[in-house]
Order: sequence, then structure tokens, then C-alpha cells
Amino acid sequence: MIRIEAAPWASMLAHAQHTYPNECCGAMLGSTGEGVKLVREALPLENAFEGAQAERYELRPEDLLAADRAARERRMELIGIYHSHPDCDAYFSQTDLKNSCPWYSFVVLSIRNGEFHHANSWLPNVEQTAAEKEELSY
Amino acid sequence: MAKVMIPTPLRQFTGKQDAVAVPGSTVGEVLNALTTQFPDLRKQIFNDEGKVRSFVNVYLNDEDVRYLGKDATAAKDGDTISLVPSIAGGRR
Repeated sequence: MIRIEAAPWASMLAHAQHTYPNECCGAMLGSTGEGVKLVREALPLENAFEGAQAERYELRPEDLLAADRAARERRMELIGIYHSHPDCDAYFSQTDLKNSCPWYSFVVLSIRNGEFHHANSWLPNVEQTAAEKEELSY
Repeated sequence: MAKVMIPTPLRQFTGKQDAVAVPGSTVGEVLNALTTQFPDLRKQIFNDEGKVRSFVNVYLNDEDVRYLGKDATAAKDGDTISLVPSIAGGRR
């Protein structure tokens, strides 16, 4: 299960609405314990995809390296990645799956007409062939 | 020895250590020694052919080793090796 505190959730929503109709992306920092991942801080990152960002996002590895270092400095952990799906549901697409990493939770925010609609969290497998839905609260 | 920074979700395979000092004179030797010491890590980092998985970028300090000497990149005392995922996606 992954639980997102109010402040990072508000930050993620604001980021997704600000970038609409393009996709946003970012890192989630927090802590893990007793089967619950707790997101305490959202770190908006730049969508580095060179093309139609309304349909794609890409994270720069060096930005993720910096996010991991920031987490360690703040005595937190990098526990997940978030991105938005403008004007469609919060599914885990084949593009999401084929470009995922099984180490992290992937929170997808559905943004319709610029407003938040719903969200899901996904756990891809190591072979990048399937993703399991993870219980999400915010 | 070089130090390998362990991503949070992989610390379950390293006895909860967030960094592990591992012997080896190249990045490839260090990663092999790491996954010999912690065998459950191997599947997360290497595929069945023994290649680093496509979603794993290996950084030596601040440099992606693909732009250095790949597995043969020299690693020395005080170097930090990071495993950084390659992540992208999109609604279509």
C-alpha cells in the first residue's frame, strides 16, 4: 500500500494541472515500513521527452540520481514516480510498462479538462510484462 | 573499494544497507562482486544473459558508464557507483 500525505498530494495535483494538456512527471520521497509506503514529499521533475508531451514523458537519469541523493540527504527514501495522463484514465499503458522499473511504485493521475479525475498506483514486474495495481490512499 | 549506493527497494536484499563497499577494479567487477555477496540482487540488476537490465543505468560518481568504458570502466577507492533507473512512459 502507498499513502500520500496531503502536502505532496497537493503538489502533485498542482504540477499535473499546471502542465496540462501535457504530461507531468516527478519523484515521490518518503519512508517505508510495516507494508506501507508513506510519501512525505513530491519532487516535480522536468518532462524531458522530445516530442508530443501530451502523450509521453521521459525522466532524465541524472534528475533521478539527484532525487535519490536529495532523499538520502533528507533521511528519506525515493519510493516512487508519478506522472499524469491528460484526458484519459489512470491505467498503466504499454508505453508505461515497457519503460518502467520494478523497484518503484508508479502513481498515475488522470486529469480531465484540466481537473483531477482519479489516480491509481502500479507495481510493474521485473520483466516489464505486467503491472499489479497497488492500494493507494491520498 | 568502491561504494555502491543501493536504491531503497533493493535494500531488502542487502540486509537493509543503503550503501555497500565492494572490491573490484572495474565497474563490472564491482557489480559482479556485489551480486555474488547478495545473490537475490542479481535478478534485479542483470537479465538471464548476464547483461545489465535495460532499465538500469550505472553511474560512476556523476557519469553514466555508457559514456565512459561501460563495464570495463575503472573503479577505485572512494568512487561511488549508483544504479539509476531509466524511466519514461505515456498514455499511448
